[in-house]
Amino acid sequence: MSTATTSAPETRRTPAGRAIEMAARGHRSLPVLIVLAIIWTVFYSQSPAYLSFQNITNLTLQIATTAILALGVVFVLLVGEIDLSSAVLSGVCAAIAAGLAVNSGLALPLAIAVAIAAGMAITLVEALVITFGVPSLIVTLGGMVILQGLILVVLPPEFTVSVAGTSFAKIAGTAIPAGAGYVLAAMGTLVFAAYRFVQYRERMSTGTRTSPVAVVVPSVLVAVVLFGGVFTLTRQRGLPMPVLIVAVMLLIAWYFTTQTRYGIHLYAVGGDREAAQRAGVPVRRMVIYSFLILGACAAIAGMVDASRQLGVSVTSGAGPLMLNAIAAAVVGGTSLFGGRGSIWSAILGALVIGSISNGVQLLGLTTEVQYFATGSVLIIAVAVDVVLTRGSLWPGRRR
Amino acid sequence: MSLLELTKISKHFGGVRALHEVDLAVDPGEVVALIGDNGAGKSTLVKIVSGVESPDTGEIRVRGESARLVSPRAAAEAGIRTVFQDLSLCDNLDAVQNLFLGQEKYGPMWSGRRIRRHVMEEHAHRILESLSVKLRSLSTPVVALSGGQRQGIAICRALISDPAVVILDEPTAALGVSQRAEVLDLIHRLRDQGRGVVVISHDMKDVRQVADRVVVLRLGTRVAEFRRGEYTPSDLVGAMTGAHEGDEL
Ligand SMILES: Nc1ncnc2c1ncn2[C@@H]1O[C@H](COP(=O)(O)OP(=O)(O)OP(=O)(O)O)[C@@H](O)[C@H]1O
Ligand SMILES: [Mg+2]
Repeated sequence: MSTATTSAPETRRTPAGRAIEMAARGHRSLPVLIVLAIIWTVFYSQSPAYLSFQNITNLTLQIATTAILALGVVFVLLVGEIDLSSAVLSGVCAAIAAGLAVNSGLALPLAIAVAIAAGMAITLVEALVITFGVPSLIVTLGGMVILQGLILVVLPPEFTVSVAGTSFAKIAGTAIPAGAGYVLAAMGTLVFAAYRFVQYRERMSTGTRTSPVAVVVPSVLVAVVLFGGVFTLTRQRGLPMPVLIVAVMLLIAWYFTTQTRYGIHLYAVGGDREAAQRAGVPVRRMVIYSFLILGACAAIAGMVDASRQLGVSVTSGAGPLMLNAIAAAVVGGTSLFGGRGSIWSAILGALVIGSISNGVQLLGLTTEVQYFATGSVLIIAVAVDVVLTRGSLWPGRRR
Repeated sequence: MSLLELTKISKHFGGVRALHEVDLAVDPGEVVALIGDNGAGKSTLVKIVSGVESPDTGEIRVRGESARLVSPRAAAEAGIRTVFQDLSLCDNLDAVQNLFLGQEKYGPMWSGRRIRRHVMEEHAHRILESLSVKLRSLSTPVVALSGGQRQGIAICRALISDPAVVILDEPTAALGVSQRAEVLDLIHRLRDQGRGVVVISHDMKDVRQVADRVVVLRLGTRVAEFRRGEYTPSDLVGAMTGAHEGDEL
């Protein structure tokens, strides 16, 4: 066997090495899409009802909370930090919003705004302690315990708030009519095509190699996904509101991470803090921004969940939500070591994890199976991440 | 008037005296070589001038005016750009993102402050070409590039904001023969453009070729200074190691 070599010549790369490099380079969504296809095939072969319109609609509703929280977690992972407190925070924010809207009779938009502000204020405090120098693992672990106490304080004496039949329940309960759904899909397609066209014009103006195919093909693809999605999800009642919320949040996050300099700075901070600092990137501010985004995501996730469960209680945000959100981000291809991944990993990872638990329940399998499957997928995903980060299949070798 | 003038700069790391009352001046259109043995304090001096470390005592003047280089950004705004010894590239970013990191070009408010990738790419093309840095793709993460290519990107990055003073910490260390000649040529060009250049090098041949002035550090103090043509290689080595002092005794 070969021993550790520190400077293998550049040209001597195995096919496996090249594949790893390509995967590390940007096609990080590919492995998770393959995993998703395998999961769907397996469950579909066991029960055709798995891919029925109704079950797919159920699935999207089930994963909405995890996906929204995972989106926040992605931002924190990208700058090389970790968070364990946001699931409980989502419970706290939901308790605040439901308490204000239902018990105190505050207007719903105002209650939502207060809850989001509260979520951001709490993650701001965490972020300040983290940028002061305490490891985020510890800060958010402690934060999680503190927030478990805080939710008892925020909830009324009976420790639950029911939102059934109130305007709060409409957050998740609203179904957008199919017609409006198709209009949204058309708008989405147009915006995407326009974006691609602007990019094409820009590249033409500077003489960069490009072609109209780069406008048309992706636009058609996006149209297929959007219209197909709306068609599938409106078979029951209409487009579920949580789906639209997730879509809008993904769109904003996509713009922020890929089209602005803040996005580049986010990746720079996660890739090499010292280098980012020397290049003039405000490192600590980027860490704080990430946690603020997480705070907002946690609050929204909490409210969507409370609205779907028709209430808030001490168990809101407890259970597997936190681990599912982190697992979703990582399974989707965001690195635990910072600087690698994309916002799409939140939705793709949440789909993988949600598809497993949905299938297990549909087939009436025992809970053990779900735990075994979810745990294994997580470990495999992190193993893939380790390989991609290291750049070689085996330990001890570097490129 | 000097572009950059350091007076009595001292810096300690715990008990280690990295720099002791070091003076250094850089004039426009001048290449100053900073040499010294390992651990002499060269990189520490570079970090102080580039705003990464702050000096314990001493004064920094930029174009005659007292300056506080509290951050890399402050140094860059004062017109000082640095190529660090470890290059300081972000491995996960591509060449364009690294070149413009911290100074991205973006559109106005009404356009959503979208980064102008195509403008940056074109600028990157031009500047990389001017230095003959050859990259297969501008959008590959730099982790996949060779040492020389990375070095080229790091140097180009320093030049993107058109700085008055360029500091290069061991710029030729990772380079092959032709690229080394390219970098030395570039240093001459920078000087001819009227910039002040500080070069740190262990290579006496390079130093003799590019430097108008050589400043020697030993154990954190400035021990000698030579003008072009007024020294022999053994003078430099002697000053670096302290061998001459032994002779004189
Ligand atoms: N961050 C630090 N913490 C503690 N000591 C440091 C630190 N940075 C530098 N030093 C010490 O300061 C002294 C000068 O180091 P410096 O890196 O400036 O040397 P150098 O001249 O650049 O050497 P080389 O030629 O090896 O690059 C050394 O003794 C080093 O150990
Ligand atoms: Mg050094």
